[in-house]
Amino acid sequence: MAALILPAGLLVLLLLVAPMAMLFRISLNEYSPTQLMLEALQPGNYLRALADPYYQGVMGTTMTVALSCTVICLIIGFPAAWWLARMDSKQKSLAVILTVFPLLVGNVVRSAGWMALLGRDGAINATLRGLGIINEPLQLLYTQGAVIVGIVAVVAPYMILTLSAVIEGIPRNLEEAAANLGASPLVAFRRVVLPLAVPGVVAGSVLVFILCMNAYATPVLLGGPQFKMMAPAVYDQFVRGTNWPFGAALAFILLVVTLALTVLGSAVVGRRYKAQ
Amino acid sequence: MISRRALGAAAALLPLAARAQDARVVMGTWGGDYGEILRQGVDVAVATPRGLEVVQEIAPAPTRKTKLLAERQARRGSMDVIGLSDVDMYELAQLGLFEPVPDGAVPGLGRVIPSLRRAYAVPHIYSARVILYNPSLVPVPPKSYADLWDAKYRGKIGLSDLLYAQYVETAAIVGGGGPSNFEPAWQKLREWKSLGARVYSSNEQLAAALKSEEVAVTVMWLARGFMWKQAGIPLQHVVPEEGATSITYEMAVPKNARNKEGGWRYLDAMLDTRGQAAFAQRMGYVPTVTDAVLPAELARQISLTEAQQAKLRTPDYAYQASMAGRLLDFWNKEFKG
Repeated sequence: MAALILPAGLLVLLLLVAPMAMLFRISLNEYSPTQLMLEALQPGNYLRALADPYYQGVMGTTMTVALSCTVICLIIGFPAAWWLARMDSKQKSLAVILTVFPLLVGNVVRSAGWMALLGRDGAINATLRGLGIINEPLQLLYTQGAVIVGIVAVVAPYMILTLSAVIEGIPRNLEEAAANLGASPLVAFRRVVLPLAVPGVVAGSVLVFILCMNAYATPVLLGGPQFKMMAPAVYDQFVRGTNWPFGAALAFILLVVTLALTVLGSAVVGRRYKAQ
Repeated sequence: MISRRALGAAAALLPLAARAQDARVVMGTWGGDYGEILRQGVDVAVATPRGLEVVQEIAPAPTRKTKLLAERQARRGSMDVIGLSDVDMYELAQLGLFEPVPDGAVPGLGRVIPSLRRAYAVPHIYSARVILYNPSLVPVPPKSYADLWDAKYRGKIGLSDLLYAQYVETAAIVGGGGPSNFEPAWQKLREWKSLGARVYSSNEQLAAALKSEEVAVTVMWLARGFMWKQAGIPLQHVVPEEGATSITYEMAVPKNARNKEGGWRYLDAMLDTRGQAAFAQRMGYVPTVTDAVLPAELARQISLTEAQQAKLRTPDYAYQASMAGRLLDFWNKEFKG
């Protein structure tokens, strides 16, 4: 039976593990402006990235944006997922298509739409000026808020579909039993549905959090040149600075932080609800 | 069983296949106007009649640069010719990525402006870095780069994130340094930042900001200013008193190109006056060959006068390459941060 995972295992080894190992090796090299990099085995790139207040700030921004997006997706995604899960099968397929609809549009095209909406002369500012509510255009684009809104619009479908699959598995009669025993809908949700949906909450949050930590196009286009998250910072080092060793070190730091926060978050949420 | 006749026919086809391979040239280029003018003015007009089949590989310069670096160990690379700015080209040339231009391989080199020739590349088009301003917002035009540090330009200066190295050099010149000494630039850039100079993600976004009058002044290529004027953005240009700095776009054949012979032939086609004139007319870049004749009015708009030409600075490629990491760090952390 174990042989069945061999093809997939080999593919992962070839296309994921091998390039990652190469990238890790590069991260230990020394940068050279005249020779691209010098062979070395030193942790200098990691130490520099970790000690530099600029990159600490970039990582802080990345984590803030990723956590904010995950929480917002959870808050807006749970009711939508519950509604989707409890829907008649006839309408459900249409609702699922509508949910995944944002994913049918590419990231860049979607961001261009947000730019048309949030820009200085965009639809929102034009409307507010037309109504006489503001005289000077509001700075909506190139803000952290714009990035969060843009990313949420991309990742919300992942949260909704993951949660909906889990909520579908929770028998409807458990909610009815809670109601029979005098629980208000809110209490039934908090004491019955939510604890049973925890695997979906954890899976959806992990998926969304990882996507947000690695977001590239949305922060670049909606955050503007002053706003920096880790993925654009990695790109900058590789492509604009031609500093592959430092870029590789930043990529690994992003990977480790994402992995650590994901494992920690899942463990904390899982334990809390298991205890209940 | 394969008959002897079938084998013979297959053998006869082999040279044809090889010839098709010889004809195909993969050209790594920018897209947009540049790619289109190259296709019309060089590929279709000159290269195809000379028996070349040109395939454009379109990507921004940093992406193609990184691809070339990633392929540097490969025996067969993906591009036969690559077009880059002179600064990028030097950076990659010092890593030994390009084939030196062999004597006689590009006959058109004899017509190239001698100061633009390089051992590792062939110059395509060039322009100079100037000041662009909106005359309705700036009634008294600036005369020099140094003027742009005047408090009257507070909040009026827009910059493109892509041209950060150019602004460092501009600031260095104002601070008493120059292409070979960027040290005075850091302080001057801090002053510029405190004057509210705004950074836009791309040249297009900077153009939109100039058009909407969000900003009134920028430092940019004369050719780009020409295009923006053609597009209806109300701009005038000033060649700074300190002297403009040149930008040359060059093309080279990578060492691991599959079709080097075709690459050299393509570079020769690129020097044909028809393509050179097309770039001047549509993008405002000055031809790198001496025999491309431009209409007088066009030449006036995109060229420098003799006096301005005499003051034209060339980047110190080696110095700039050695400072690349520091430039990006300062720009990201201090200027934009």
